[in-house]
Order: sequence, then C-alpha cells, then structure tokens
Amino acid sequence: MSASEDTFSTLCQLLEPFNTAKIGLKPETDISADLNIDSVSVMDFVMEVEDHFNIDIPLNVLSETRSIADLVKVVEGRLAKV
Amino acid sequence: MHGTVVKGSLRQGEDGPVLKPTPHQNPVLAKVLGGFATLAAGLDYAARGVTGYNFYSSRGQLEHVLPYRELRTRAVATARKLLSSGLKRGERVAIVAETSPDFMIVFFGCQYAGLVPCPMPYSMYIGGKEAYVSRIAGMLKKARASAVILSSDLSSHIGAAAQIAGTAIVKTFQELQAQPESIEKPRPFEVDDVAYIQYSSGSTSSPKGVLITQKAIVANTRGILRDGLKITNDDRAFSWLPLYHDMGLVGFCLSPMMGQVTVDYMSTPSFARRPALWLKLMSDNRSTIAYSPSFGFDLAARRINGEAATLDLSAWRVAGIGGDMVRADVLNLFAEKLSVAGFDAKAFTASYGMAESTLAITFADLTKPVKIDTVDRLHYKLAQRAVPASEALKASPERVRNFVVCGKPIAGHQIVVRGDNGQDLTDREIGHILIKGPSLMAGYFENSEATQAVMSADGYMDTGDMGYWLDGEIVVTGRAKDLILHNGRNIWPQDIEWAAEQIEPLRSGDAAAFAVEGEDGDDDVVVLVHCRLAEPAEMEELRRKIAAVVHQTSGVECAVVLVAPKSLPFTSSGKLSRAGAKDGYIAGEITEISPLARMPHRPSGETRLQAAQ
Repeated sequence: MSASEDTFSTLCQLLEPFNTAKIGLKPETDISADLNIDSVSVMDFVMEVEDHFNIDIPLNVLSETRSIADLVKVVEGRLAKV
Repeated sequence: MHGTVVKGSLRQGEDGPVLKPTPHQNPVLAKVLGGFATLAAGLDYAARGVTGYNFYSSRGQLEHVLPYRELRTRAVATARKLLSSGLKRGERVAIVAETSPDFMIVFFGCQYAGLVPCPMPYSMYIGGKEAYVSRIAGMLKKARASAVILSSDLSSHIGAAAQIAGTAIVKTFQELQAQPESIEKPRPFEVDDVAYIQYSSGSTSSPKGVLITQKAIVANTRGILRDGLKITNDDRAFSWLPLYHDMGLVGFCLSPMMGQVTVDYMSTPSFARRPALWLKLMSDNRSTIAYSPSFGFDLAARRINGEAATLDLSAWRVAGIGGDMVRADVLNLFAEKLSVAGFDAKAFTASYGMAESTLAITFADLTKPVKIDTVDRLHYKLAQRAVPASEALKASPERVRNFVVCGKPIAGHQIVVRGDNGQDLTDREIGHILIKGPSLMAGYFENSEATQAVMSADGYMDTGDMGYWLDGEIVVTGRAKDLILHNGRNIWPQDIEWAAEQIEPLRSGDAAAFAVEGEDGDDDVVVLVHCRLAEPAEMEELRRKIAAVVHQTSGVECAVVLVAPKSLPFTSSGKLSRAGAKDGYIAGEITEISPLARMPHRPSGETRLQAAQ
C-alpha cells in the first residue's frame, strides 16, 4: 500500500461517522456535496483530521478542497512541511 | 494565526520569554465605563492602563498579547502608514477580520487616520472559494473601498475579489507595516464623524453596509457597559465570536476597550474545531462575561465530557445568548453538564439587538434566570396574540410556543410594537418591532432606497422582527420577512435560490428556499426546485449538485425537494412567492416527484399542529 493509499484509508475511517447516508467512499467523493454535511460537522471532521495527523489546515486551503483525493494531497502537503 | 505584525517580545518564540496575559484590572487608572467622545478618545484613555486583548491558538496556547497601550502606539503608527499609501480622509478601508492583533491595529489605525474601516468576513466552507470571492467582491464594490488589507494566506482569494471590484490598493498586514510613515499628522475621527461600516447585513447578491457614527458607537457601548452588563473592576471578557459581526466587533472588541476591560480571544474556526477549549480557557482566566448563540452552548456541552469536573466557571456571571432562537433545552443541558464546574444557570442572560442599532437594544435583568413565556400556538398563529398557555396545554409541546423575554431597552432608547396599520399595540399583541435612539445607524451606506424602506417619518426604524410587550419587557417571536436563521447566522433565501439557479438546466424562478421549524426548534432549510428531467438518475444528480452548491455558498445542509415544473406559486406582480411555496409544501400540495427520493423531508411542528386541530 502506498503512502497516499494509506492516507486515503485513514481519511475514510475518520469520515465514517459523518457518512450518515452510508455511501461508498471513493477518492473522487465530494466531501461537502456527496455527504451533505453542515458547516459545523465539517469543522468537527477537520479537527479529527488535524488531531490525527497533528497538522493545521488553514481555511483558505480548505476552501479549495473538494474531494477526498484533494484532502489526501492537502494532508500530505502539510505533513511534508512539519 | 498568521499575524507577523506583532514581533519580538509580543510573539512567543521557541525560546522567547513566556507570555503573560493582561490582568483583569488596572491597579491605578480609574475605571470609566464609556462615554468618551470617540473610539480614538476611548483608546487614548484605555492606553493609560495595563489591560488589553489576549489571543489564544486553536490548541489553547497564548500566542499574542496586545495591551491597549501597545494597541494605541501601533494604531497611531499604522494611521501614518495608511496615509502614506495614498488614502484620503473618509475613504473606506476593507480589513479582513481575522481574530488577530493585526485586525485590531488596522481598525484603530483607521480611527486615528480618519479612514472608515469595513470589517470583511473570512469565513469559508470546504470547497467554497468561488462563493467567498464573489461575496467579498460584492462588499468591496458596495463600499467603494479604496483599499483592502488582508493576511498573506488569503491573498489569492482577496486579490481575485479586489480585481473584480476594482479596489486599487491591496496590501497584506505585513506590506502595510513596511510602508513609510507619512509626515502628515493623522487627524483622528471627531465626535460628528462616522466610525465604521459593517457588512453583515443584506444578501450576498446585494450586501448592505450599516453605517455607524461615532455618536452611535459611543452611545451603544456606554449602554452595554453601564445599563446592560453593569461592568465592574472584576470583569474579564472571553470571545470566540467573529469580529465581522456586531456581537463580536461591538460586544467583544469595542465595548471592552471603551470600558478598559481585558478580553481573551480564540478564533471562530478554533472554537468550531474545539468547542470545549472555550470553557477551559474561561476557567483558566476566571472570565466573567461571554456570549454565544444557542448552538455554541450546545456544542460545548456535548464536547466537554469528563473534563467539566476539572474546570472552575464560578466567576462566569453573564452567559449571554444572542443571534438565534434561544432554546431552553440547550440551556438546561449546558447548566446540567457544567454545574459540576460551578456554573450558575442564573448567569444566562437574554438580550436583543442588531447591527442597525450598532448592537444592543435590550438586556434582561442580569440577576434573574432566563424568563420563558409559554403561549398557545394556535392563537399565536391565527390571531397574532400571545395568549399564555394553560397547564393542560403545556402538557402537549406541539400546541405551545416558548418565547424568551428579552428585557428592557437601554437608557435613552425607545421601542414600539406596531400593528400592520401602524397602530401602537399593547401587552401580548404581536406586531412589528420598531426602535429609536442614539444607537441607530446613520443609514445603509450609499443606499437611500434601502434606508428609506426601514426608517419611518417619526424617527423609528423597523427592525424587521415581530414581537410583543410583556410587563414592560420585549419578547421577540421571529422575523417578519423570509430570513432564515441557522446557527446564529442570518441567511437570505435569495442567496440560496440564486446559487441553485446557476445549476443547469435551472433558470431564474425555478427555486424557492425557506425554513421550516425542525424538531429542535431550529430552522431546517428546504429548497423546492422545478425539475424538468425525467430520468431518475439524472434527477438525483441534480439534487446532489444543488445541495453541494448551497453548502458551498451558505454552509448549510438543506433538503432539496424536486417538484413539478410550474408548481411554484408566483405573486400577481410576477415575483416568486416564498410564503406561498412554503404553505403549499407544508399542506402537501407541492410534493417531491423523484421516485428515488431517499427520505422525503417532512416538516414536523406545523404538521403536528394541523393534526391536532
């Protein structure tokens, strides 16, 4: 399993509690659209991601993040900076 | 936090000195609760003491300390830098209102330079860059802003917005600080000048800037400090509220400064991620005053868990609730979970206000618990009267409505409740709430049409809210118009409709957005959409796209209901009738047409009422 596949599966695990409709999570899944979670829950999820990887994700980066694959890139980018 | 303006001793470095927050009180300087001629005069006074602003990181570390003394020195220097950037007296300076020393320094720099600061939102949603850029561009344009000051991480967003709006000067906080200081002596705003413009009013497509004068901010902060909160030397405020909203800006930045009160801040996104940290920092600082919409108390109570026992919230004397429907169940949950930390439920305080009256209009009695008036739902709906519910009726929650009693107006301000024909109403008659007094805005900036629409000839302003009198106190029942309230934010339905109508093949007039009361008393957002598609899979794809664009635009989860073409009602003048659409939906006349609809959204409260009739 590559590093990014690893990150992807971790993100899917963290997303699972928010996936109330139980749709199948894929790299191209749009986090806000396909899961239809509200802004407060999104921040909950972002916090989980930040805590898990011990990184900070600024709002401006978040506003350009749509799919899980986008988020994988963001997480790996932030990890590389630490 | 991306503030690099504050350097050296103020910034906690790896091996720098340990930061200490500013103290509760000034040991020597006498406490003066507002009443200074201007904001700058208030800061001149506060700068003689040692209190000020403290900023905590998302992980609870003290990152910046900005005593009022330091703030004044930096603001005066920044005034000269603004002037050397070519800005002329009275021009508008947009400032991205992050919770940071940078924002405060530039805001007060404008006060000393005679420039009009316009705090801009920085809130964004996942995937929401485009919506944010167009929102900011709309505000810059309406304000005819000459400059926008931002943090470096937002440069691509704000740069794009400034280009659309034609804003000439775009500088990061750092770039502004690198400017030379003008030799021209800054001339601060005087007593008859304006103070700032606030842009949280109006829809995204047509933002309205609330123009607040020095006289208004002086009157309102004085009312808040003296009549409303009755500030003493022992008070210390805490806030995670956004500084581009009146409650954050006036309530927890300008008022404390005008009363030399120390404030501890965490940013709004930090709060959203770690709501329990709010309570921990309040406990550490022995904070006495904090405000939040109901949902904030809800989030914190749910997240605190076992940590509650380690906290000491016994100093917290004003837990203000504002910005949305006050929910008794949430307050009860919070008080129950935090009683172990010494939190006193009597600290909950209801109040009423809006940006158009600077911030505050009324405060309830601080020493008494929140007063709830339980009325008969049927009379409320049909007769516009708030008839107290009988004990028997109270046993069926669906047949009553609970309203919070919000208190009396601050000194020098008047409220009237008027009927549809303009007649003054008496106790328990529900009508339009109008207000008058020195805190009222000068008007909407360069928008006389919108200003005239709310101002009446006798000097009263229509708040757009409905309510009634109860023994000399005002009770607010809801909005007269279609505004949606969600987690303490006002959402304009036309913003949601406009966003939805950008999706192919929808056209203007194809969407109707409104709120229905959810199980918990909060607003649930429903969007009815004309659907001309026949293929079920395509219909679901349309639903998904609309939900996504609404989320990216407004940050709300909504129920998208696909309805038959031409089924939405229109008024005789050809405008979409939101009220008609909502009535038709609740009555079951306008319904979902997709065979794959996952869970057809059913309104709860109103349906139950009909069943009970």
